[in-house]
Amino acid sequence: MKKNILYIAMSAFLLASCASEDSTLDIAGMFSSNGEPVNTRFDQSIAYNATQPEIHLDMGSDTYTVYACSDSHATRQAHKNLDYFIEQYNAAPEPKLALHLGDLIDAQKNFACADSILNLANSHLFIAVGNHDLYFKQWSIYRDYFKTATYWFDTNNGGKKLDLFICLDSGDGTLGAKQTKWLRELLEQKSKEGYRRIIVFTHTHFWKLDESQGHTSNFGLEETYELASLFAQYGVEWVWSGHQHSRQSVIFRGVNYLVLDATQDKEKGQSYMTVDMGESAIYHYINYPSVASKE
Amino acid sequence: MRKIIILFALLCPLMAWAVRLPGFGERRYSLTAMGEYSYNTTWGHHGNIDVQALMPINQHFEMEAKLQFSTANVHTGVLQIRPKFELPVGEMFIETDLMYRAIARNKIGDIVAAVGVGYRMDHVSITIGSFCRVMDDWTRDWHSEDNYVVEPFNLLYRIEVFCRPQNNNWNLSFMFSNVDDYQMERMWQPLFSVGAWYDVTEHWRLNFGAQCKPTGMFHLDASFYGATARAGFSYRF
Repeated sequence: MKKNILYIAMSAFLLASCASEDSTLDIAGMFSSNGEPVNTRFDQSIAYNATQPEIHLDMGSDTYTVYACSDSHATRQAHKNLDYFIEQYNAAPEPKLALHLGDLIDAQKNFACADSILNLANSHLFIAVGNHDLYFKQWSIYRDYFKTATYWFDTNNGGKKLDLFICLDSGDGTLGAKQTKWLRELLEQKSKEGYRRIIVFTHTHFWKLDESQGHTSNFGLEETYELASLFAQYGVEWVWSGHQHSRQSVIFRGVNYLVLDATQDKEKGQSYMTVDMGESAIYHYINYPSVASKE
Repeated sequence: MRKIIILFALLCPLMAWAVRLPGFGERRYSLTAMGEYSYNTTWGHHGNIDVQALMPINQHFEMEAKLQFSTANVHTGVLQIRPKFELPVGEMFIETDLMYRAIARNKIGDIVAAVGVGYRMDHVSITIGSFCRVMDDWTRDWHSEDNYVVEPFNLLYRIEVFCRPQNNNWNLSFMFSNVDDYQMERMWQPLFSVGAWYDVTEHWRLNFGAQCKPTGMFHLDASFYGATARAGFSYRF
């Protein structure tokens, strides 16, 4: 009897902590999403994109710099590294653009704070949606701030095509049937348009090497095979992602898969990435000051 | 009667899966053939044919060979060698698996070598181990090292619970694992299976199974990814 009471009390505590507005973990969402499925999010993203003009960034040069970070898990109390990333980005000379590869926030009620930090960026900044951005049914809030999670844009130099960037919504660990079809059609079309390189950025990583064991889930195998094949077939040069909180570099079938460290304040080994985009793309991981000072 | 048979045939795929403890308490060779209907958001609707042979060599050693051919143009071969040790209650076994999955649709080969330790009784079977995976590009340039990916360590786990003892003429099981007969998923990618068998005669057994594969569990926003239903028969010599 005592045991049963204990179980009931523990279950009630667990449920209460899941339901609490201040809970940091959406335990229910980890087992069964209670928000919009990826196909719905894709439809809404594409519907928004259709109302907007295409984004063609004239960089005014063949070379420019990409600043990228991931997994900032910003809260109202902890966003030091994200602040630093924006400061560094703002201090960098033009031409440049910035990417955030998802998990912008942790838990709930933090989008306003994180968005206000991103708004300080003095040049282009694009964002991918992460699983933490979707927990607690937060897609609608994410959409209020960032409008779309599946889109593309390209860079050019006075009309001369440079690079194509494709952002994918992988917050569920799958692209879903509709987004995969869209990606295939987009790559089929764009791969013929003479871009210097094609870059895909998304939240979820593709491979489970040593560094990624034990921490995060990723795409199912069927989808891993399919997307790896798709990227290779259409000449994608880079796939940038986050999610596992530790850097990783894999080349498979000519596609460079880079995973970024976390930007989250409390994480060890935090860094962001800069990429010098020219005839070749050269990347650097740059430690946040808290890490650099420890080293 | 025909209506009942048709109804049974329709319901069977909704029932079960792995359901048998291969070789447990079994001294007979058996051949199994299964048909599967499967769907996932990547490959869409597809069908599979499975063929399996169980060879209990002696009381301490058994082998199992499995082949699967899929209309998704993905074909799999598995060889399992399973030393086993009878205990006062149940049986302990070491599972060594070698799996090759030819993903012809993507021109990728997936080789997995696994080793695990298991314990099985009439009502429960537990296996824990690890496996190594190499994904290899069929179109590789042999002068380059950039055409394969090694995932050196993955946790293997399988917990299966049975409603009836193994020597019963029917059974129903529920399984939670990251592996099944023809796939070895990463550790955070669980598979939920249900299975059943019914012994029609001493030699013939009907097998049924169903499986659900979610995506993004534990560290992502979980959603449905795929499902499989299968039905077939075994002949035990």
